[in-house]
Amino acid sequence: MSEPLYNCEGTPRRDFLKLGLGAFMGLGFVDLLRSRAHAAEAARAAGGASPSKVNCILLWLDGGPSHYETFDPKPDAPTDIRGELKPIKTAVPGTCFAEVIPRLAGIADKFTVIRSVCHHDPNHGGGNHYMMTGAPTPVPVGCGAFVTFHPSYGSVVSWSRGVTNGMPAYMTMPEMSRSGGPNFLGAKHAPFVVDGYPNSPAFRVRDVTLPKEIAGGREVSRRKLRESLDRLSRSADAAAQDPACGFDSHYQQAFDLVSSKQAQEAFDISKEPEAVRAMYGRNDFGQRLLLARRLVEAGVSFVTCYSGGWDHHTNLFKSYKGNKVGDLDKGLSALIVDLDRRGLLESTLVFCLGEFSRTPKINKDGGRDHWPHAMSILAAGAGVPRGHVIGATDAKGYYASENVHSPEDFAATLYTKMGVDPTQHLHANAGRPVQLVAGGRPIPGLFA
Amino acid sequence: MSAAAVARADPQPGASQASQILAENCLACHSPAKHKGELVLSSRDSALKGGKNGPALVPGKAADSLLARALAPGAEPHMPPKGQLSDADIATVRAWVDSGAAWDDAVFAAASQSEGPVTLRALPAAYQPVLAIALSPDQKRLAAGRGAEVLLFDLQAPERAVIMRLTTANEPVYSLAWSADGKWLAAGGYRKVRVWDLQSANPVLELAGLNGRVGALTFVPGMPVLVAGDGDSASDGKVRQWHVPDGTALAGWRAHADAILSLQVSGDGKTIVTGGADKRVNVWDREKGTSIASLEGHAAHVTALAINADATKVASAGADKEVKVWDLKTKEKVASGPNHPAGVTALAWAEGGKKLLSASEDGIVRLSAVGTEGNVEKAFAPSGDVLHCLAISADGKTIYGGCQDGQVYAWPAAGSAVEKKLGTAAAIDNAAKDTLSFPNDVLPALSRAGCNAGVCHAKPAGQAGFKLSVFAYDPRSDYRAIVKEVRGRRVFPASPEHSLLLAKPSMSVEHGGGLRLKRSSDTYKLLVRWIEQGMPYGPPNDPTLVAVEVSPREQRYPKKARQPLALRGKYSDGSTREVTNLADFSSNEKSVATVDETGVVVVGDTPGEAVVLARYMGMVDVSRVTVPADSVLPDSFYASLPTNNYIDRLVYDRLKTLGLSPSELCTDAEFLRRASLDAIGVLPTPEQARGFLADPDPQKRNKLIDRLLENSGAYGDHWAGKWADLLRPNPFRAGVKSVYVLDQWLRESFRQNKPFDQFAREIVTARGSTHRDGPVVVFRDRREPPDITTLLSQVFLGVRMECAKCHHHPNEKWSQEDFYQLAAYFGPLKRKGQGISAPISGEAEFVWFAPGGGEVKHPLTGAVMKPKALDGPAESIDPKRDPREALAAWMTRPDNPFFARATVNRVWGELMGRGVVHPVDDFRASNPPTNGPLLDALAKDFVDHGYDLKHVVRTIMRSRTYQLSSVPNATNAADTRNFSRWYRRRPSGEVLMDAVSEVTGVREKLQGMPPDAPGVRAWNYRIDSDFLDAFSRPNASADPPCEREAEGTVVQALHLMNSEALSKRIADPAGRAAALAKSDKPPGEVVTELYLAAYCRFPTAEELSLAAGAFSAPGATRQSATEDVVWALINSAEFVFNH
Repeated sequence: MSEPLYNCEGTPRRDFLKLGLGAFMGLGFVDLLRSRAHAAEAARAAGGASPSKVNCILLWLDGGPSHYETFDPKPDAPTDIRGELKPIKTAVPGTCFAEVIPRLAGIADKFTVIRSVCHHDPNHGGGNHYMMTGAPTPVPVGCGAFVTFHPSYGSVVSWSRGVTNGMPAYMTMPEMSRSGGPNFLGAKHAPFVVDGYPNSPAFRVRDVTLPKEIAGGREVSRRKLRESLDRLSRSADAAAQDPACGFDSHYQQAFDLVSSKQAQEAFDISKEPEAVRAMYGRNDFGQRLLLARRLVEAGVSFVTCYSGGWDHHTNLFKSYKGNKVGDLDKGLSALIVDLDRRGLLESTLVFCLGEFSRTPKINKDGGRDHWPHAMSILAAGAGVPRGHVIGATDAKGYYASENVHSPEDFAATLYTKMGVDPTQHLHANAGRPVQLVAGGRPIPGLFA
Repeated sequence: MSAAAVARADPQPGASQASQILAENCLACHSPAKHKGELVLSSRDSALKGGKNGPALVPGKAADSLLARALAPGAEPHMPPKGQLSDADIATVRAWVDSGAAWDDAVFAAASQSEGPVTLRALPAAYQPVLAIALSPDQKRLAAGRGAEVLLFDLQAPERAVIMRLTTANEPVYSLAWSADGKWLAAGGYRKVRVWDLQSANPVLELAGLNGRVGALTFVPGMPVLVAGDGDSASDGKVRQWHVPDGTALAGWRAHADAILSLQVSGDGKTIVTGGADKRVNVWDREKGTSIASLEGHAAHVTALAINADATKVASAGADKEVKVWDLKTKEKVASGPNHPAGVTALAWAEGGKKLLSASEDGIVRLSAVGTEGNVEKAFAPSGDVLHCLAISADGKTIYGGCQDGQVYAWPAAGSAVEKKLGTAAAIDNAAKDTLSFPNDVLPALSRAGCNAGVCHAKPAGQAGFKLSVFAYDPRSDYRAIVKEVRGRRVFPASPEHSLLLAKPSMSVEHGGGLRLKRSSDTYKLLVRWIEQGMPYGPPNDPTLVAVEVSPREQRYPKKARQPLALRGKYSDGSTREVTNLADFSSNEKSVATVDETGVVVVGDTPGEAVVLARYMGMVDVSRVTVPADSVLPDSFYASLPTNNYIDRLVYDRLKTLGLSPSELCTDAEFLRRASLDAIGVLPTPEQARGFLADPDPQKRNKLIDRLLENSGAYGDHWAGKWADLLRPNPFRAGVKSVYVLDQWLRESFRQNKPFDQFAREIVTARGSTHRDGPVVVFRDRREPPDITTLLSQVFLGVRMECAKCHHHPNEKWSQEDFYQLAAYFGPLKRKGQGISAPISGEAEFVWFAPGGGEVKHPLTGAVMKPKALDGPAESIDPKRDPREALAAWMTRPDNPFFARATVNRVWGELMGRGVVHPVDDFRASNPPTNGPLLDALAKDFVDHGYDLKHVVRTIMRSRTYQLSSVPNATNAADTRNFSRWYRRRPSGEVLMDAVSEVTGVREKLQGMPPDAPGVRAWNYRIDSDFLDAFSRPNASADPPCEREAEGTVVQALHLMNSEALSKRIADPAGRAAALAKSDKPPGEVVTELYLAAYCRFPTAEELSLAAGAFSAPGATRQSATEDVVWALINSAEFVFNH
C-alpha cells in the first residue's frame, strides 16, 4: 500500500529503478544466448572477460564451514585446536589443505583461497546478512533471525543488469539463503528459486519448462487458443500506462523462453553426458552445481547454490570425514575443472563461503562453535589468479593476521568483477541514500 | 587562477582560456606529482610526450589529440572521469588545439598549488589556536605554539607568565620539540622547521623544502637528532631527520600516502611510529628507515600516538574517535580504549603505563584504564573549545592542553577542575560590518556545491574522514568539522586558497567528488573571504532562517511558457534575502513543467498541473503550475453529466479544469467482477454472475454493494490484510504467536467494522501482553519511541517522518524537534519480558505498560522533549497518566488535519488504484492532492459518519466515478491521476490466488492452514507459496509498512503458464474442468460456464465458436479441451487484471 515517490535528490523512484534495466532489454532470448556465447569466445581470445559479461556462481555453506578442516589447517597448533584431520599437500607448492578435500587440493592451481576475511558478528542471522549483502545488520540480530536490511549480491546484480528477456537474472537452488533477498530493490529482483532434487530422473526446473502433460504439441494449440481468447482491449497510448501492455510483453518473453530449444536444454540436466554428471557427483548437491553451470551458460547472471547444515557444534570430525564434505570436494572441483575446460572460467566467477568460521578450541561435544574472526573463502574465475593464497591467520588460526579483509572488501570485489560500481548509491524506500558497499575496497590479490 | 595571469598577453588567442580549462579540470590528477596514467599536463612538452595511452597532444589536430578527444561525451577513456565539460569548454579546447595549442605557462604555474611558492599572510586575530605544546625537559617551561608564534611560559613563576615570544614568518606552528638539554626548541610550520637557541632566543636553523604542514616533530631521546613528519593531501608524508644544530639531513623516507599527523620515537631511539591521514599507523626502524609494520584498523586520520615507557606498546587514536593499543613486538592490537564522543587529538600514558590520558575535540581530557572498553575513569572539567594537544608533567601532577581558543589549560591530575588558563583567548572581532555568517553564508554555499548531500560528506560515516551534517541540519558540528577538526587541517588562513576546503572542491588537489567549485565562482571567492576573516561563526545576533517564500506561488500558464521563480528567505530579525541562486528546484510532473537549476520554469505541451518544489537550507515552499487544456469543453457538458453522489461532481470540477471528459460507465459484468474483488477479494461464482446480469432492477449495483459489504467475514479478511501489511511485525523477530494474535485482532476489528477512531485508539494506546492483546504486538518490534513514531505517523497521519528522525525533512517542514516531540508521547512506555535476541519462533511474551517514567531526548541538543503533536498544541500531561491517550484524543478529534484525510485517501487508493494524494501515506506540501476538495469532502463525510470505514467504501463504490470504464476515450488516455476513468490493476497475490482456485475449483494448499482456507486468510508471510512469491507479497523479513510490487513480471507469466502444481489443479478430478467435462453439457455451455466463472460475463458468439473449437481439435478429449480453455482464460489479461 505504500509507494515512495521521490528520493532525496528529487528523482522519482520509479525512474531510478528503471535506470537499472540492463543493456540486453531489446534482445530476444536466443540473441542473448548468442551474445553470451560470443562473449565467452571473445573472453578466451582476450584472456579475460569484460565485467558486464561475468556471471557468478556462489556456493553458500550455511552454518559456517571450519577453516581448520578445509583451506587453513594448523597442524602445529595444540591438539585441542588442530583437531583430528591431517593436512595434505596441494597442487600449489607450500600450501596445504585439510585431508578431506583432496580433489580441491589437486586443482588448487586453478583458484585462489583468501584466508583472512573476518568480521565481528557471531550470530547466524547477522553473519548471513553481512556475508550475503556486504552490510552488517544495523541492530544486533539473533541466530534464529532471518533479516534483511540491504539487498543481496544476486538481487543487486539482477537490478543492475535487468531481468533479461524471459530469463530471471538471479536464481537460487534449492532455497533462498536467509539474507539472499532484494530488500528495497523490490520483488522482481528476488531470486527465482529452483527447488527439487536434480539427481532424481523426474527433476525439472519449475515454471520455465512445460509440465510434461502439456509438452508435445498441446502447448501450441493452447497458446493459439489463448491468443484468440485474450480480448481485453489494450490502450496503445503509452501515456495511459495500461498494465495489460506490460503483461503482453511478459507473456511474449515467457513463450520465447519456453519455445527456445536452446533455453529448454539449458534447464534439462539430463542432456548432460553421464560422465559429466558423474564427475560432479550423483547427488543433489553435485547436480545443482552442474545445473548452475548450465544456467550461467544460458545467460543467468547470478546463481546461488545453497547447502545447509554446516553448523557443526557437535561431532565435527565425523561429519567432515563423511559425505557432506566429500560431495563438496567432488562437486566444487568438478565445477571449476568443467568451467575451465569449456573456456567459461574466465567469464564465470565462483565463490564458496559461509557466514563465518568455527572456534579454534574444540568444544566438549567434539564440535566447534561460531567464530567470525577468521574465515577462508575460495575464489575462482573471472580473472582471479590461479594458485594463490591471500592473507593468513595467526599461528593457531585464531585471527586473520595478514592482508586482513572485511566482508565489505569481499562485496566490493564481487561487484567490481561483475561490472557493478560498489561505491554507487541506491535509494531505499523512503528515498534515503544507501551506499551499495560502505567503505570496502576490492581485494587486490583477486585481480591478476 | 590569479587575476595577474589573465591580464598577461595571450600567447595565442584562446590559449589562456583553454589553459585555464585544462588547469581547472585536469591538473589535479595529471600534475607532476600525481601523473595519473603517466600523463602530465602541466607543460606543453609533457603533453606532447603523453602517457600510457600515447601522446596526448597533436598540435593542429584536435581530432587526433587525446586530450581533446577524451572530453567528448561517451569517449573512452572519458575525461574528466567524474564529470562532463560543457560544450562551450570542449569547443574552446578543440579550437585551441587546432590552432597550435600554445601553452599559457603562467596559468599552469598559478594552478599547481602544491608546488608553487606560497606567500603567507598574517593570521587573522580571531584565529590563534594552540595546535602544539611541549614541556621543557626540566619541567620548568612550557612552550605553546599559538597561531604563528611560540610562547614560553615560566611554570615556576606564580602567574606562569610568558617569558619569551618567538615568531615565525606567518607560519602557523603545528608541532614543537625540545632538545634533551633544553637548549634548543624546534617548531614545525608550513614547509619549514625552525630551531631557536633558547639562551639567546635567536633562530639557529631554518630547515626548508618540506611538504605541506610539519604535523609532528620530536628529538630522538639523548641524541642531537630532530625527526619531523610532513605532507599534505596532495603529496606523500615523509619522515625526515636532521642533525642539530648543524642541520645535516640524515635518512628520510616516504612514510604515508597522505600527511603525517603524529610521530613518536621510542625511548631507545630505535623505533619511530607514525600516524597519518591515510588511516595507518606505521612502525619504522629509525636508523635504516625500513618498515617494520603497518597497523591497520583506524577508520580515519590518526592524529594521536603514545609509546609507553618500555616501548612495548603504542596507543593510537584519531578522527575515528577510537583508541587502540598495539603490541609493538607482535604488531597485534591488544586492547581498546574507550570510544570518544569526538575525535581524539592527543594521547599520553599516565600512572606508570596503566592508564591513558586523551585530549578530544569535545574539549575534554579523559583518563581511562587501558583495555576496558568504554571505561572512562575521569573526565576533567571541559576547556573552552576543541583541544588540539596534550602534555603531562614528568611528576604526573599536572596536565596541560592546548585549546582552539588560544589558551593553554592546566588541570591538577589529582583534581578535575581547571587550575589555570595560560595566555589569552583569541580576540573575536565581531565589529567588522561585513563579517560573514557561517550558517547564513557559508553553509548555503557548501550545500549548493553539493558537499553535504547524503551521498557525499553527509553520509553517516562521512567521506574521506570529513563529515558534514546532511542538509546542514547541525551547523555547529559542521563548523567544527571545517574549522577545528584534525588540528584545523581543512583551513589555512595564512593562505586561504591553500585550504583543503577550497583546494579539494576546486580540484587543485585531487578530489573524489570531482570539481564542485570553480576558482572563478562567486562561491569560491566568498569562502576565501570568510577564511580571511578568520572563519567567524557569525556576527552577534546573527538572525536565523525561519521560512522561505517562492513567487509566483500559483499561476496558470499557456503551453511553452517560461517563468523564472524567485525565492526569498525570511529571517528571525524580520529581514529577507533573495536566495534563488542558492536554492534547489524540482518539479513533480516533468511532462507538464520542468525547472532548471536557476529556478526557471519551462512549461511543456501537456495540460495538467505540476508542483515545483523550492528548497533552501531545510525550508521548502512550492509553486503550483497549472496548464489548462487547449479545447476546454463547455460548462454545460459537465453540468449534464450524470452523478451518483457528491464524489462525481467534485471529480467533474477537476476534469473541467483540465479539459478531460470521463469514460463511459463500465458494463454490469465488469462492475460485478470489479466490485466483488475490491470489496471482499472474492471472484463471483457463475451462478452469482448469471443472477446479477439477468437482474432488471435499476438499483442492482447499489444492492450488490450492500450485499458484498454485508459479507462481514470476507470483507474483514480482505481489509484486515491491507492493514496487516502496514502493521504486522517481522514474524522472524516478533514470533509467530504474537503475529497470529495481531492478525486475529485485525480480522475481528474489520469483521465488526469497528469505528476507525476506536481502531486507531486501541493501537496507539495499546498495552498488555503480546500473547493475548493484538494491538500491543505492533509495539513488539518497534520498541523505541522513534520507531513506533515513524510507523504510526505514516499509517494513521499519512506523514512520513522517518527523515526527520535524523535531520530536517528534506521535502517538508518537519524538523527533528517536531519528530521527537511526537516521539515523546511514547517515552513513558515500558515493557517487561525477554531481551532483544529472539529464538527462531520468538515465542517469548512481553507485557507493555504505561506510564513507566521514561523520556525522549533530542539527539542533538539532549533536551528532554515535551509531547506535542504535529502542528498541535504543547501538551501538559499529568505524569501519572499515559500520554498516548492525549495523542489518540488529538488524532481522532473531528478537526484533526491528518487522520481522517489520511484514512479516506488510503481507502480511495485501494478502490481507485491511486490515492488523491499519492503515495497514499506521503502527505506534504510538496506532494499536494490532485483534487483537494474531493479529499476534504470524503474526510468530512467519514467524520460525520462516526469514522465508519464501510460507509466510505460504500460511498466510493456507489459513485459513478468508481463505476467508469477502464477504457480511455479521446481526451483521457493520458490521465492517470484525476480519475476520469478507472485504472486497471492486478489484485493482490492472495486475491488472485483465490480467484485461480475459484476457476479451477481446487484450492491451493497452504502449509499450516486448514485445507480449504483461502489465500486472503494467510496470516504469516512465511507460508511457502511459489504463487505468492511470484505475485509479490510483503517481504517477511523487512519492516512494515511493506511495499508490494504492483508491476507484472515474466516470472508471473511463467508461473501461470507452466506451474506444474497449477497444471495439476486444472486437471484435478475434483476440479471444475473435470466436472464440466464429465457433465453432458455441450461444448458451448461448458465454455459459457467457464466465461462466467473467470470473467463474470457470457462469451460473445465469436468467442464461443473459437473456444468450442478446442473440443473438435484433433486428439482433443472433453477433459483436455476443457482444461485448455481454463488455462487460456487464466492466462489472459481479462482474468489477471481487475479492469
